[in-house]
Amino acid sequence: MRRVPPWLALLRRTGVACLALLPAASPAEDHGQWRHYGGDPGGRHYSDAAQINRDNVAQLEVAWVHRSGDSARFGAAMERTSTQSTPILLPPAAGEALVYCTPFSRVIALDPGSGEQRWDFDPDIDRRGDRPFRCRGVSYAEEPRVPAGAACRHRLYLGTHDRHLWALDARTGRPCADFGDNGRVRLYGDEGLAPGEVSNSSPPVIAGDLVVIGSTVIDFARAHTPRGTVLAFDRRSGAPRWRFDPLLGFPDSGSANVWAPISVDEDLGLLYLPTSAPSPDYYGVQRPGDNRHANSVVALDIDSGELRWDFQHVRHDLWDYDTPAQPILFDWREGGERIPALAQLTKQGFVFVLDRRDGRSLWEITEQPVPPSQVPGERAAPTQPKPIAPPQLLDPFLMPGDAWGLTPLDRAHCRRQLAALNNLGLFTPLQQDLTLMFPGSLGGANWGGGALLGDRPVLLTNINNVPFTGELIPVEQAPSGAPGDNHPAAGHRMRVTMAGTPYAVEIGSLQSFLGIPCNRPPWGKLVAVDLQAGTIAWETALGSVHEMAPFPLPVHIEWGTPNLGGGIATAGGLFFIGATMDRQIRAFDVEDGATLWRYTLPVDAAATPMTYTYRGRQYVVINAGGHHMFSRGTGDYLYAFALPQGDESP
Amino acid sequence: MKRLLLALGLSISLPALAATVKVVNEAGEPLAQAMVTATPVQVPAADLSDDGYAPHGVTNTTATVLTRFTDAAGAVTLPDDANARYRVRAQGHVDAYFEQLPATVVLAPMNQQQLYASYPSNVWLSQLSFGGDEALKKSFLLNCAFCHQQASPFMRNERTQEQWLSVIERMNTYGARLPDEHHERVAQLLQSEYRELREHPQRVPAPRDWEPHLSQVEMVEWPIGDGFSQMHDFLLHPNGYVYVGDNLFDRLYEIDTQTGEYTVYKVPHREDDELGGILGNRFEVFPKMYNYMGVHSFAYSKKDGNIFITPSMQQALLEFDVDSKEFIIHELPGGYYPHTIRSDERDRVWFTLALSSQVGMLDRASGEFEIIDLPARGWREWLVLKSLPLVFSLDPDIRPTPSPNDVSTGLPMPYGIDVAPDGDVWVARLYANDIARIDAETLEVEMIDFPYNGPRRLRVDADGTVWIVAFQDSLLVSYSPRSGKFRHFELPVINEVPYALNVDRERGVVWVNGNQSDTILAFDIASERWKVYPMPRQRFFTRDIEVSEDDGAVYTTNSHFPTYQSEGGVPTLLRISPLP
Repeated sequence: MRRVPPWLALLRRTGVACLALLPAASPAEDHGQWRHYGGDPGGRHYSDAAQINRDNVAQLEVAWVHRSGDSARFGAAMERTSTQSTPILLPPAAGEALVYCTPFSRVIALDPGSGEQRWDFDPDIDRRGDRPFRCRGVSYAEEPRVPAGAACRHRLYLGTHDRHLWALDARTGRPCADFGDNGRVRLYGDEGLAPGEVSNSSPPVIAGDLVVIGSTVIDFARAHTPRGTVLAFDRRSGAPRWRFDPLLGFPDSGSANVWAPISVDEDLGLLYLPTSAPSPDYYGVQRPGDNRHANSVVALDIDSGELRWDFQHVRHDLWDYDTPAQPILFDWREGGERIPALAQLTKQGFVFVLDRRDGRSLWEITEQPVPPSQVPGERAAPTQPKPIAPPQLLDPFLMPGDAWGLTPLDRAHCRRQLAALNNLGLFTPLQQDLTLMFPGSLGGANWGGGALLGDRPVLLTNINNVPFTGELIPVEQAPSGAPGDNHPAAGHRMRVTMAGTPYAVEIGSLQSFLGIPCNRPPWGKLVAVDLQAGTIAWETALGSVHEMAPFPLPVHIEWGTPNLGGGIATAGGLFFIGATMDRQIRAFDVEDGATLWRYTLPVDAAATPMTYTYRGRQYVVINAGGHHMFSRGTGDYLYAFALPQGDESP
Repeated sequence: MKRLLLALGLSISLPALAATVKVVNEAGEPLAQAMVTATPVQVPAADLSDDGYAPHGVTNTTATVLTRFTDAAGAVTLPDDANARYRVRAQGHVDAYFEQLPATVVLAPMNQQQLYASYPSNVWLSQLSFGGDEALKKSFLLNCAFCHQQASPFMRNERTQEQWLSVIERMNTYGARLPDEHHERVAQLLQSEYRELREHPQRVPAPRDWEPHLSQVEMVEWPIGDGFSQMHDFLLHPNGYVYVGDNLFDRLYEIDTQTGEYTVYKVPHREDDELGGILGNRFEVFPKMYNYMGVHSFAYSKKDGNIFITPSMQQALLEFDVDSKEFIIHELPGGYYPHTIRSDERDRVWFTLALSSQVGMLDRASGEFEIIDLPARGWREWLVLKSLPLVFSLDPDIRPTPSPNDVSTGLPMPYGIDVAPDGDVWVARLYANDIARIDAETLEVEMIDFPYNGPRRLRVDADGTVWIVAFQDSLLVSYSPRSGKFRHFELPVINEVPYALNVDRERGVVWVNGNQSDTILAFDIASERWKVYPMPRQRFFTRDIEVSEDDGAVYTTNSHFPTYQSEGGVPTLLRISPLP
């Protein structure tokens, strides 16, 4: 790795300091706004806007609806999309537009008050391959090295599905000619690879004078997948500055990529990377050892990209337990001391709370002995780390006696299935017998992450609570053909190839003949975690199953549904979230989880909402476009909600 | 001859050199009683082809682990073994690991958080007050501390009250009998008091210091099985082997402690037996097991050496022919839950029948069983005991299982048993708080009230004094049949809940297990003084104890259930012996 000279690091830091003095970033203008994908660079998903609050949220109404036009333009390709984008609101100096990206990496700027389109940029991506299309957002920065008033003084950065990093003028959407090749940089990962094998989902982040981007890698189709290298570029010129391979060159694996959002800590000069599983997901004979720094939170020096510390939450992953969510930065209080901390949600349903300075866990870590693998040559890690608090956000203990059903018949069916499973609890490795995966690769937590209640160390997060099953199938017995695109969340069985290993894998949900999960509901829930006390403050079901039955039911049945997408908290005491398989966006009371408002959207909203205040009116905005994993229809809607005109509180 | 050759081969291959290491703190001061543990780097290949476990008849070799302690000068000598990696551990210091032992090891002090985390469960447990309700705490200990350590990091993990309730209800299906009316309250107290402790760990007292006698002993461990196995009881046999039962996988391990080899004998069961035996599968929600019989307790015939085993899940008695290596299943004429077993000089085998409150006896001379009823404490209990055959004739799925409550203490549950030098048989009834003497000639039963709580197992010393552990009272108790008087002795570690004990009749020492404190405790009868031996692994739940009368070596097993909560995640047979 190339070292950065101290003088250059200082210069860059000076640049960062200059940025902080720019008028466009004044605190007053940021009040109640949403400038970053995660609300702020540390992913708190929190807004201090309070116009919409507990008392009036029930009056929320649709302020405007924007349609991106993707449905008309891309037709059948929409079936392979999931609409996950969270818009950002640009500061006035940058045009004060609401900007988001569509699953096909189009960037659209809207008038925040009316939803009318101001401009549209289409990178015309390569749509070959069978990977689903999605784009979680774009990032904004003011570039002080460009004269005020000139084009591309204010920039948007976009990572596309087909592995380009674009810099666009924030006011016009035109590519910035001084960045890379006329506005774009070709990222690594396309040489000799199948289209879509490496792509992008989460937005790049701005750190100092850099733009940093991870990648999405298909990590289950082949044993040796592309590297999960994180790349940093000069944010003006697009010149490469540093790169970081989480596997540190380990030759017997790939991936360990960073597909979830990265957090930026300018105070400590660190980036926090949530790294994913090494390849292949479910077979580790060819990659012995812990496989560091996969399945970790990795802290890198912003300037040099050098590793500062890491915390690995799964050793030698055999379950596809990627680090799925953006690390959430907050202050931990210990005695009178303020410790910079981060909370990391995991698919296993743990919340790890780490000291940002050195990666030390602020809660005691117990080494939980876990089952050995029965696969020849496989050496599963003998223990896995578990925080002594907060408690695991789901109970992975599921035995035949716990089988659940609507009737004695489907319960008995579930009981029989459970009794036949290879099931040694959390971290049971897959083998050639059907094995319980609870939680499965859906989580627990997923990329929606969580929301902090401002400065209070209380984290609200949506959790999946549905069991999967999986088994290794010797390649000679595996059906031929391309991997399917079915997903267990939709009740399908999904087959992945792991080419280059002796096995393929088949994964499905554990459900009765009625299509109902075999565990007791809720199957999706919202949990409030007191990070400082290490306790669960409250939890409630998230989602209604009334549209999941063979025919729609006329009333909501709040048993929770699988969910993808996140939520946001506001100073109005509210938590807004879509994410569920019932087309709802809901507002919950952050203090007790009571549902205060909900609205039925045309399709599921598998995206994280955001909120902003424009001309004195607070808006809550969410993308509603469905999710290919749910198989419940797609769309191209962006909904904005606000209080009725004239009803806004000051 | 084969064993002799093996032993010779081993002695030839033993490392000829010894390495002396000095352990110091960061100030360079010697650390006495530092624990130095050598673990093989290359683990012998093992045949585990029977669903991850050793098949019947296979001989594997264990990865034997050696532990010694430094002396007052901080020095300890170990065999210089190229195939070993070393862990150096001292109270209040961070563990250090080495591929090769340096001449001097400097241990760094723990920070406060590490220090509290290193404390054994018993000192944490001592700070749970259960809201000042001492009786409730004892009820909790009686029902919840006989399989695993309470207040370990696994228990101190934050759980919601609902999660605690779920755990309690699950444990009651495993065999705990926490009264229904206590569930909510205990869940609430565990949730709140563990949190209180986590937030104020400074309230937890430091554990007992390791003491100088440790530098005079070594500890050897033979790990067998995996995180789902459970070494329950075991037996030192005059033929030189140690026989250990894997309670959850119906296996008998015949261990040669000289070579580390062990041969596996899978206990047979009848074709129509169901998993979990006639008790029903009370471990239905345990992740992995294979216990049709439930290998529980051991005794051997002083006549032919055959081993008798109580299969707690069946109405049967197992006999293992040590020469032919064949098992014989003896059907019992009655009684339920064969528990602890001992043999006498007249080749009679005595065992408790815990559920039916009986004592069984097999007279090997006649081949006949005698089932002795212990008296019921009232007509209701008598009625329940007499109705057991009817109850057990029903399918486990529809069998009535009365919920335990706080008024009734449930069934009396004869538990421990021993044969005194004069031939009389002594029995402890756990829930009835009494002990029984059975006349060896007439088989008459005399019941004696036990003035403490929780008599689990008992042993009789060379003088005929009966030694009993009072489980939830944390006491060692003696009973003199001559005077009819009880005495009690405080244990040397706090909040211990002793499960079992044994007596070194030759040396007059009572050995008591310390299942919550990672210790085994030695009580010198003459001086009434204790010695404490710390275990080389955390969460080491000592249970059965055997004493080699020849050399005074003491054996115990790490019997934590589930074993995966123990450090290392594997059950071990452990021997403490004087340094060679």
